[in-house]
Amino acid sequence: MATHFKRKGKRLLGVGRQDAIRYFFGGNAMVSILVLGAICGFLLREAVLFFPQHQRDLEVFRLTGQEYANFAITEMDEYTEVKSLANQAFYQEMNEAYGIQRGLVDSFGALSGNIYDAGEDLIEELEDARDEVEDAEAEGEKTLAQAELDAIQAKWDIFLRAELEKADRKTIDSFGRLGEAEWQQLLKAMVEWDPVEDEPPALVAAAKAESDEGMATFDTARTTIAAAGSELARLRGELIKVTTAIKDEAVADKSAASRKKAYLDGSLVAETEEERVELRRKSDEITVREEFPYAERIKVLEGSREKHKTAVEAMKVDLKAGVAALPTEFSSPEVTELVSRIRDKAPVLTVYLGESLMESADWRYDEPLSWVYSVSSFFFGKDWVTNSSFHDFYGLLPLFTGSLLISVIALLVAIPFSLGAAIYVNRLAGPAEQTFIKPVIELIGAIPSVVLGFFGIIVLGEALREVSQVPWLSWVPGFPMQERLNILNAGLLLALMAVPTIFTLCEDAINNVPASFSEASLALGGSKFQTVMKVVVPTAISGILAAILLGFGRVIGETMVVLLVAGNQIAIPDFSLGAGVITQPAHTMTGIIAQEMGEVTKDTIHYRALFSVGLVLFTISLLINISARRIIRRFGFSA
Amino acid sequence: MSNSMNDTTRTATAPVPNNPNPIAKQDAMIEIDDVSFSYDHGQTNVLRNISFDIPAGKVTALIGPSGCGKSTLLRCLNRMNDLVDTSKVTNGQIRIMGQDINASDVDPIELRKQVGMVFQKYNPFPKSIYDNVAYGLRIQGIKNKPKLDEAVERSLRRAALWGEVKDRLGSSALGLSGGQQQRLCIARTIAVSPRIVLMDEPCSALDPIATARIEELIAELREEFTIVIVTHNMQQATRVSDRTAFFYIGELIEYDSTAKIFSNPSVKQTEEYITGRFG
Ligand SMILES: Nc1ncnc2c1ncn2[C@@H]1O[C@H](COP(=O)(O)OP(=O)(O)O)[C@@H](O)[C@H]1O
Ligand SMILES: [Mg+2]
Repeated sequence: MATHFKRKGKRLLGVGRQDAIRYFFGGNAMVSILVLGAICGFLLREAVLFFPQHQRDLEVFRLTGQEYANFAITEMDEYTEVKSLANQAFYQEMNEAYGIQRGLVDSFGALSGNIYDAGEDLIEELEDARDEVEDAEAEGEKTLAQAELDAIQAKWDIFLRAELEKADRKTIDSFGRLGEAEWQQLLKAMVEWDPVEDEPPALVAAAKAESDEGMATFDTARTTIAAAGSELARLRGELIKVTTAIKDEAVADKSAASRKKAYLDGSLVAETEEERVELRRKSDEITVREEFPYAERIKVLEGSREKHKTAVEAMKVDLKAGVAALPTEFSSPEVTELVSRIRDKAPVLTVYLGESLMESADWRYDEPLSWVYSVSSFFFGKDWVTNSSFHDFYGLLPLFTGSLLISVIALLVAIPFSLGAAIYVNRLAGPAEQTFIKPVIELIGAIPSVVLGFFGIIVLGEALREVSQVPWLSWVPGFPMQERLNILNAGLLLALMAVPTIFTLCEDAINNVPASFSEASLALGGSKFQTVMKVVVPTAISGILAAILLGFGRVIGETMVVLLVAGNQIAIPDFSLGAGVITQPAHTMTGIIAQEMGEVTKDTIHYRALFSVGLVLFTISLLINISARRIIRRFGFSA
Repeated sequence: MSNSMNDTTRTATAPVPNNPNPIAKQDAMIEIDDVSFSYDHGQTNVLRNISFDIPAGKVTALIGPSGCGKSTLLRCLNRMNDLVDTSKVTNGQIRIMGQDINASDVDPIELRKQVGMVFQKYNPFPKSIYDNVAYGLRIQGIKNKPKLDEAVERSLRRAALWGEVKDRLGSSALGLSGGQQQRLCIARTIAVSPRIVLMDEPCSALDPIATARIEELIAELREEFTIVIVTHNMQQATRVSDRTAFFYIGELIEYDSTAKIFSNPSVKQTEEYITGRFG
């Protein structure tokens, strides 16, 4: 019939060429959707399975009494913070108040050590020669030995002078505490130094005595504070030991049935009689219990509560005495600051100790544990500890805080740069600059993040630390920095990675602002700058916000740079340092997954915990993307 | 420099032939003096040797076929052409109130405060009605609220928009009708009290009723401002303007009172254009 309009081409199974092409592309889209669905499903399943497992884990933690031991551990941790502050303050004060004296003592130590190392053989000879003189009995023998000794002594004197001549003040007195005059005095006094007796010169001994005496009050206070923890530390060790033993037994007990069976099976196929008997014996040794007798085992903790109470009360008293004994006048504002932090923290610690003691008194090993507890101790848990011989903790908070802090810093740095560059390129730059700047900024995005990471470790980290040590910058919070790899470093690098994203999207948003708006503003006598700030940016604001959000998504999901540069210390950064918090190291959600996923066993609680972290990340990214879309749709202008 | 001085003298003494009915020199608000203009570094001139004076307190219409350079000339008057990097006045001088506006010591920003502009497509900012009208004053640094309120009300009244928007000054300008938006743009322009208002086909995007209202408005504003309006609508030119300049491919063909141009043009091209034989 339809001879004119007949379909051309071959058909395979009733499918023509056009259809095939359609199915091919449709199929590709379908596959992407299915893969995404599969990934979400897998992630969700593994992540959700974490929670029941976590609950069981926490149950065991409680049943074995480890939870009780943890009271003592946390108390000690809190106390240790105060203790190290006291030590830090003490040494800083000593170095400042008795800088020259300590400089003399330490320089003498370094100098004599160096000379000792260099002249070890000579010193040995000298010692031997002296012994020789001592031991010699006959008169003739004595003169001979004495002559030898004199020769060696002369040799030593020359050597010592040469060494002192060579000594470099900068390397010996590395903190630069000695002036040229003191240095010369020390060198002069050292000429008399006897390496065998190894007594410090009078000058040094006097300096030491002076500094020791001056620091005596502080030292007493410090040692009192340090001694306050000894009782509790002992108890803590004991509690850890006994409760961990219960846990190990309980864990072994869980696999008892399967181990027993394995030995039995082994004995049946054993090749020699000897082996058979041995395996059989091992199998018989294992008793399989219906239930692990926690009630029985937990009895070892009887009496611990009393000891705990005594230890904590003693700690409170000593701590109070120690803090009260601290001196009040210091030689520098930093020490004053440190000591005032101790004074602030001590009462907080005392209150905390009281509360913790009460809580531990109410603690019961068989108190049931709800799923809410399991969930909340994941999301709000302050510790992430794995592969611990005591107990593993899976608390998200330190990782979440790390990720958030780093991202916020990255954004704070990246936003002004990207927005400024976008405005400049789109509105102010000439065409030549435009064609140059745009691709260059976009090229930043092409740098592999591992390369950026190396840059962060080697160049930026070092540079930051050096800058932070410039004396007149020491007012900046957190300066001088202790760590090279820290939140600030990671944040700065991530800012670099966020710039191309934010820049490109901002530039798009600004470009979408109709030229008629800026023309109107200019025609009203607005300057270019006013036009940009009052018309262009407000009009593009939704696009700019979306750009920032997507930049945030980019940054919080970044792995390599933070893994290499953030310092990977799993702890909630110390916010009591104020803005200085950013000079501390941190760990992140992405970093922990990358670091630990490779070495976990499938289906263990650790494995699933990492998936839960992944799910949190995924949810954050999803929310960010959805909000960005919403903003654009809701507030995008119609011009 | 000396060249342009010579030109000035020449114009003053001997009017160019296509400007047979010159206005008295002291009435001129804008003096356009042998102006040529190029968009491409002077390779081709889009305007060629244009000379005529625009009187103060009157409405002057610029007509001519599409692409003849009306908008270009208008944008020379507030130096909006500065935005095109390659553009340049290649010859002659434009003087406003006697001052050469392309002189090196002239700040285009100051110039534009005196020479406002209303565009072909109404373009209020995506801000509130109030903020639109107050914009020009705010960027001049005026923050005093009563002063701004007063200026906004006065400008909206002058633009015959006050009654329609006084209850919703805080709502978005983009919610107004097209005609209202264009009147808002006029209010925004006159809020900064310019001497001159340039209008580039201000009604081309509007329906006849909205057009009529704008024309009424122009008639009212002529007392206060010197208005230069580009239009492709002959009736509009006759209705609103006092004087009319006819352009053809970058040249000024005829410039005279509107009545004369439309009743008895002296150049044949003008007559052909206004009677609709081309363009
Ligand atoms: N920004 C510009 N760059 C280059 N050429 C332009 C530009 N604007 C206008 N032109 C050219 O200048 C000439 C005059 O244009 P225009 O002044 O807009 O005419 P009219 O307003 O009379 O229709 C036209 O040939 C146009 O192509
Ligand atoms: Mg035009």
